[in-house]
Amino acid sequence: MNKSPSSFALPASGVLLASLVLPGLAALATFAPLTASAETAPEQTTVSVKYGNYQDSQANWDRVKVNAAQVYVQAPIAGEWSIEASGVSDNVSGATPYAHTQKSGASSGGKTGMSDERHAGDVKITRYLPRAAVSASLAYSTEHDYTSTAVGLDARWSTDDNNRTWTVGYGTSHDTIDNTYSGGSISGKHKNTQEFMGGVTQVLTPTDIAQFNLTRSIGSGYYNDPYKLYENRPDQRNAWIGLVRWNHYVGAFDASIRTSYRHYSDSFGVSSHTAGVEWVQPTGRWTFTPGVRYYSQSAANFYFDPVLNAQGQYDLSGTVQHFITLRGNTSADQRLAAFGALTLSMKASYAFTPSLVADVKYERYRQSAALHLGGAGSPGLDAFNANFMQVGLTYRF
Amino acid sequence: MNRWRTLRFDFSAMASPCSLQMDGCDESVMRRAAAEAIAEVQRIEHKFSRYRTDSIISRINQSAGREAVAVDEETGDLLNFALQLWTLSDGLFDITSGVLRHAWDFKRAQFPAPDQLQSLLAKVGWQQVTWDGEQVRLAQAGMELDFGGFGKEYATDRAAAVLHQHGLKHALVNLGGDLHALGPRGLPELNGATWNIEISPPRPTADGPAAPLALLPLGRGGLATSGDYERFFMHEGQRYCHVLNPATGWPVSHWQSVSVLAANTSTAGALTTIAMLKGADAPAWLDAQGVRYLAVQHDGQVLHNAASF
Repeated sequence: MNKSPSSFALPASGVLLASLVLPGLAALATFAPLTASAETAPEQTTVSVKYGNYQDSQANWDRVKVNAAQVYVQAPIAGEWSIEASGVSDNVSGATPYAHTQKSGASSGGKTGMSDERHAGDVKITRYLPRAAVSASLAYSTEHDYTSTAVGLDARWSTDDNNRTWTVGYGTSHDTIDNTYSGGSISGKHKNTQEFMGGVTQVLTPTDIAQFNLTRSIGSGYYNDPYKLYENRPDQRNAWIGLVRWNHYVGAFDASIRTSYRHYSDSFGVSSHTAGVEWVQPTGRWTFTPGVRYYSQSAANFYFDPVLNAQGQYDLSGTVQHFITLRGNTSADQRLAAFGALTLSMKASYAFTPSLVADVKYERYRQSAALHLGGAGSPGLDAFNANFMQVGLTYRF
Repeated sequence: MNRWRTLRFDFSAMASPCSLQMDGCDESVMRRAAAEAIAEVQRIEHKFSRYRTDSIISRINQSAGREAVAVDEETGDLLNFALQLWTLSDGLFDITSGVLRHAWDFKRAQFPAPDQLQSLLAKVGWQQVTWDGEQVRLAQAGMELDFGGFGKEYATDRAAAVLHQHGLKHALVNLGGDLHALGPRGLPELNGATWNIEISPPRPTADGPAAPLALLPLGRGGLATSGDYERFFMHEGQRYCHVLNPATGWPVSHWQSVSVLAANTSTAGALTTIAMLKGADAPAWLDAQGVRYLAVQHDGQVLHNAASF
């Protein structure tokens, strides 16, 4: 931790004095002179305050008359800006709200600063212990057709040598679906989900780190997509999700290999596998990162294939006639069909200087029934291809 | 009951991620203080929103060009603050400049039509505001006041004030990157260490989270950052951001970001905004204000003043 001690007593300047007209601020800026013993602070964070005709400030909370000539306020206790430092920070000032601002701008027509968008119920409390942390959260969100309340608890703790970190989590959510407001006919439908998660991250050797997470999700209620035809899904959806990651540094090549595997299986009958591997190879000023990711899922038990005509094209009336003969649960949502997908990626970056890096990333994604693991997937699905290209220039100060 | 503990409360307000962190011994006091501080932030957001038709700001704006509106004491204090900032910044900090946003469409990346900008500029200027300490009147219909320029910073300070009122001495308030530290860490084993604040670089990198631009150990005071990255568009390699000069109606371009450390967050926030508007004159002006700053110039050069005053 960077502790560069400093203590100041500053004469108040114009803008600071101006701020003291604001209710409550004078009490903050000039509360009673601090001494090291009063604050139980070590000498490096001691503040000395020169403090004149200003007795009002502590008692009078709301209104303070400022006498400019005589006011000295304590400066913040702070060390130096440490540029390009690395370390654990408690909080962030600056570009972080950027993503959030962008996000809220996109959904609210460019509002920033003070706005009405309130998530009054969202509060997460984290309690820190010497080698552990425990969080509890409560969230409430509402959209025009959806209201959701969620409660979460999670905890993580590390072994004394910091080589192993355990994580456990529990979450429950209650959703209400009502799309009558937007012209639909669904109202007063509910969905409840509970999730249990356990995981461990283990440093295996100086060159290997592995992670394993297991999640159990238990849900009941209304699972239909209210905007889709042919929807009659079960009112129960339970799932197991397992995730394994392993990163290894290959000293002989000065390279790293990152691998991951995720298995998902639920009571709809959907079961999926995702496997990915990346090789990170620096060579001089270049770093090449080729990668491949494969995904395959089986269809839900109640997914029904569309009826195709002799030319292999979608036959609407045939599909409708087929649908009305079906009993029990049904869905024609393609996300519940059997298919597979393959992503190939290559990233190349070039460091002109240690602080100026250019990179190019290319990804090719293909999704189709034929890529389904162990044979053809659902018929009548259109294959889907996507190319993704990104060029970046990074300058670090 | 007197074991030390750390609590952190994350919440959303003012369209930003927010948090309260505190070290203390009495958990029930800490929780009550946090709940009241969050309620205080929400009260301020609610009261001064220009998106609410029933807010005091909306009432003042709706009466523009017509009658004067009597305001409550807190609103009056904020108007006094705004007046002083306008004076101290030679008119650069102007809470009537919000109407200029109608000319700049950052989503469509469009330049304003010259006549549109001219007609909006005619509605900008605190000199057209009549403020007698009790009633406020905007001279022309179409003029608007907007407290967005210091509302979040003021709420940060007020939240800190609520925690302070509950006797908390070791707390950090963060409303979307505007921070107020009420005192250093309190856990005995941390031995009075400061909070470590990361200053994010104003330009995101292609690879997601960038390395921090700087770390600042903060024990007490307000820290705020203004930048050109919140809303902007690019045209022929030039960035046009949402910080607009009230005299010209055009975006500022000298600084990518300015972080200021001051005794409270309202001061720090006002200073960062004025510094963005002052352009090349900002360092000397900030030095004269007796605050510490860290600024990233348009070319990426990082400037900051020395610790010795």
